[in-house]
Amino acid sequence: MPEIFVTVYDVFMRTYPGFLEATVVTLQLTAIGVILGTVIGLVFALMKISGSKILQTIANIYITIIRGTPLIVQIMFLYFGIVEIYTMSNFWAGAIALGVHNGAYIAEIFRGSIQGIDPGQREASMSLGMDRRQTMSRIVFPQALRRSIPPLGNQFIITLKDSSLVYIIGVAEIFSLGNREAAQSYQPFESFLVVALYYLVLVMIFTFLLRLYENKLDVDRA
Amino acid sequence: MIIGENIHKSFGDLEVLKGVDLHVKPQEVVVLVGVSGSGKSTLLRCFNFLEMINEGKITIDGHTVNPKKDNLTKIRAEVGMVFQHFNLFPHKTVLENVIEAPITVKKMKKEEAKKLGAELLKKVGLEDKANVYPSKLSGGQKQRVAIARSLAMQPKVMLFDEPTSALDPELVGEVLQVMKQLAEEGMTMVVVTHEMKFAKEVADRIIMIDEGRIIESADPKNFFENPQNERTKQFIQLVE
Ligand SMILES: Nc1ncnc2c1ncn2[C@@H]1O[C@H](COP(=O)(O)OP(=O)(O)OP(=O)(O)O)[C@@H](O)[C@H]1O
Ligand SMILES: [Mg+2]
Repeated sequence: MPEIFVTVYDVFMRTYPGFLEATVVTLQLTAIGVILGTVIGLVFALMKISGSKILQTIANIYITIIRGTPLIVQIMFLYFGIVEIYTMSNFWAGAIALGVHNGAYIAEIFRGSIQGIDPGQREASMSLGMDRRQTMSRIVFPQALRRSIPPLGNQFIITLKDSSLVYIIGVAEIFSLGNREAAQSYQPFESFLVVALYYLVLVMIFTFLLRLYENKLDVDRA
Repeated sequence: MIIGENIHKSFGDLEVLKGVDLHVKPQEVVVLVGVSGSGKSTLLRCFNFLEMINEGKITIDGHTVNPKKDNLTKIRAEVGMVFQHFNLFPHKTVLENVIEAPITVKKMKKEEAKKLGAELLKKVGLEDKANVYPSKLSGGQKQRVAIARSLAMQPKVMLFDEPTSALDPELVGEVLQVMKQLAEEGMTMVVVTHEMKFAKEVADRIIMIDEGRIIESADPKNFFENPQNERTKQFIQLVE
């Protein structure tokens, strides 16, 4: 048993410079995926609650397609689709694919939290003479946004792990480096254990930060 | 001050208001009573245009409202409404709740609004709670903030929909006290309530609604001592 620790330790020490670089790439992919996904999600959530049948239908089609197909297929599809029209790096193709994918899930997060606000809030606001726009921007959205933060944090963590799938288009993030390491070193078990550790530690850090932030929100309101 | 004529309101096939005529004079306090489902809340919500009537007309302070042409937002601002479940804005402090509408709707300067807010909070006895969030208040305190918030728009008439029904019994009095004070200051009020003591003391008129129609309208003395309608008699027996 101690022997495995020694070999894992060796692999770790030998590979960490490369993995640190790959970690940066993973974090960049995740950040772009979530930020882009948030923007897309906001737009589609607004379309879904807009009351316009056409906009709702467009949003529904988008969400159905994204949620109904595997991310890895979306990555390939977007990669070859985008590269056809516009040359861009694999990194950006992957990041955009993650963003488009996240957009559908984040749209549902936003829609859920907006619709989850007690209708009494809207009524109180309207009864005070605020119009629809003021009611949305001053009363409904701020509350909905707070409610979105825990599921958004969760989505961030999912994206962090999902970003490993862009290895398929050759982006040098954690998983693809581990994959290469495993093949070259003939130590696949140790290599993937190290890969798993990187993800685990990152997820734990973000979970912790998320908790801190949620607690702060609670304290603010108390 | 607020006149409803031949008000009809349906939800799908269900006709909830079947031709209600109600004329509330300036400074009058009208208490609406009726069994659950009789249409009391719906009537109040129609007066505030949270619900649109299917037929009839509503006149507020001499202006007959045309829902198609008029700016309903402006009209709602003139009709205050207090809800059973308070509906305070949880993400805003007590003071922010009160000054939100004056600032966003009336474009009042923040300093001026704060002064007004402080006065109103004092009026409802909560000046020391200005900077706390609603979650820290008791139900009675929440409802008093909701009243102050509504008053901040200087409405011409105030509608109350069972303002004390969600409160623990020991907190009812403080809210009724504030409402009584408002009535004494000459606020025009329409109040849905089960508090018969309040109705007897404060109301100028008590109106009984039954199945979407007004079946009794009298001053408190006559309402309780000399009811004309059978259903009103039953109702009085039930509450007394
Ligand atoms: N938005 C709505 N959609 C459909 N039906 C409704 C709606 N609002 C009210 N109703 C129905 O209208 C009827 C009257 O409701 P309303 O809330 O006005 O009664 P109420 O007299 O206030 O009763 P309560 O004492 O229980 O508050 C009820 O049958 C209710 O189910
Ligand atoms: Mg009601």
